Amino acid sequence: MAQFLQQIVNGLSIGSVYALMAVGYSLVYSIMNFSNFAHGGVIMFGAYFGFFAMTLLKLPFLAAFALSFTGTALLALLIERIAYKPLRERRAPFLYFIISAMGASIFLENIVIATIGPTFRTYPKVFSRTAIALGSIAVGRLDLIMFFVSAISLALLVLFIEKTKMGKAIQASAYNMKAAALMGVNTDQIVMIVFILGGILAGIAGVFFGMKYTVYPQIGNITTKSFVAAVFGGLGSLPGAVLGSVLLGIIETMVAGYLSSQFRDLIAFVILIAVLVFRPSGIMGKISEEKA
Amino acid sequence: MLKVDNIHIAYGGIKALRGVSLNVQQGEIVTIIGANGAGKSTLLNTISGFLKPSRGTVSFRGKALPKRPDLIVRDGICHVPEGRMVFANLSVEDNLLMGAFLRKNRKAVAEELEQVYQIFPRLAERAQQSAGTLSGGEQQMLAMGRALMTDGDLVLMDEPSLGLAPLLVNTVFEIIGKIHDLGKTILLVEQNAFKALAVADRAYVLEQGKIVKEGPACDIAADPAVKAAYLGAESRAGG
Ligand SMILES: Nc1ncnc2c1ncn2[C@@H]1O[C@H](COP(=O)(O)OP(=O)(O)OP(=O)(O)O)[C@@H](O)[C@H]1O
Ligand SMILES: [Mg+2]
Repeated sequence: MAQFLQQIVNGLSIGSVYALMAVGYSLVYSIMNFSNFAHGGVIMFGAYFGFFAMTLLKLPFLAAFALSFTGTALLALLIERIAYKPLRERRAPFLYFIISAMGASIFLENIVIATIGPTFRTYPKVFSRTAIALGSIAVGRLDLIMFFVSAISLALLVLFIEKTKMGKAIQASAYNMKAAALMGVNTDQIVMIVFILGGILAGIAGVFFGMKYTVYPQIGNITTKSFVAAVFGGLGSLPGAVLGSVLLGIIETMVAGYLSSQFRDLIAFVILIAVLVFRPSGIMGKISEEKA
Repeated sequence: MLKVDNIHIAYGGIKALRGVSLNVQQGEIVTIIGANGAGKSTLLNTISGFLKPSRGTVSFRGKALPKRPDLIVRDGICHVPEGRMVFANLSVEDNLLMGAFLRKNRKAVAEELEQVYQIFPRLAERAQQSAGTLSGGEQQMLAMGRALMTDGDLVLMDEPSLGLAPLLVNTVFEIIGKIHDLGKTILLVEQNAFKALAVADRAYVLEQGKIVKEGPACDIAADPAVKAAYLGAESRAGG
């Protein structure tokens, strides 16, 4: 029982960071109707931004953290302006967007390999590695912080989307871009806001992944899992992305704990395929609105 | 108030508008009638800024229109689009408030909301319901109410009676009258020529991207060619 609870806690922690990534994915998908594969590259930059802010600039953790997600917000915006905006203006078919996204992703990864190099780097120690005992289970400090920061970030995002005028405009644009424009919404601005929000979440996730594991140019590949989580929950649905991520995190830690960690990723992809076969819209996805 | 001057629009090779000119004066109801594919929606989408004419201009109150659709809304043109396009993922009230997106004066918005609920009591009853659960007729009411919330002076309406039962068609035309009584100028696109000509001051007949006739609505309604092409078909089309 204690082990089971322990796995749940670990799963929640890792799942909450998947949720940060998956929500960024889903946000962009809900507005643009394509999977932004460059998101992984932005997360990777977030990990490096935080790492170099702490090692080279010798900034304290919080400042490095803020610098990282500001940087990724700008980077995400830049990618949108360069790689997607010209396509949007030409009303290009969605396949062009996917190819442009893949190009951006390959570019980001290779520019890091070419300049910083392919080596693995380890974040300086920020939080003590001794676990906190909660009854019969032990929780790592980093895991606890990851969970709470992710949960708070997501709560703030939900608040913004549900309670503000701009948030409603994002929801309206996600449903029908043209009708939103007819209400006086500047839809180009909505696209920018969505990329900035996704970029911020990507930066937070990048720093956490860098701290939990290591920093390397392919760390963005971990977004494949958040992509799985987003599809699992229902692409375009934010609650779906969160639910899918948390479930994926828990399933992964369960598999690793009770079977073998070698099966962990295998299971993630079996789930993806199973979901696509049996319920293409995911747990909470909208079926009729599926476009790409 | 609105002046469309010799505009041309093509989708790839298909010429949808071939030199269309028309004008709408303040306070008028002007209708454009035409068959499927005549170019009616294309014309309204051009006025709203979604399509750029390859030739010709659109001006509003003597000035060329801005380039972006949201700026055109700000200038005072609102558009009830073909197919309603309500935000099915938002509540009825949130849909209406989206219409007030550009408006800063909360008090005026609250008053406008009350007014819209008075014109459309059904929407008041269903204020908190998701717009996706409304019937087709109710969605049309919502699309019109939402456009009113933008506080535009010129209302473009694209086939508001499409797909509605005869009784509801009458309601829609009554509402068009009420909207006009609020002081709005209306450019109404319709296939239901009989009803549209009855409510309008002036009319244009659009055929294959060209205006083939224009004049006072009663004259157009009495025109033998129009009668044969549009009014004769009325009973078959059933609105
Ligand atoms: N996005 C598009 N791409 C290509 N052709 C289009 C497009 N939209 C409209 N057309 C063509 O342009 C012409 C005019 O279409 P439009 O939608 O303006 O007609 P309409 O008068 O509104 O018809 P309806 O009464 O059926 O709504 C048609 O021949 C149509 O096929
Ligand atoms: Mg049309």
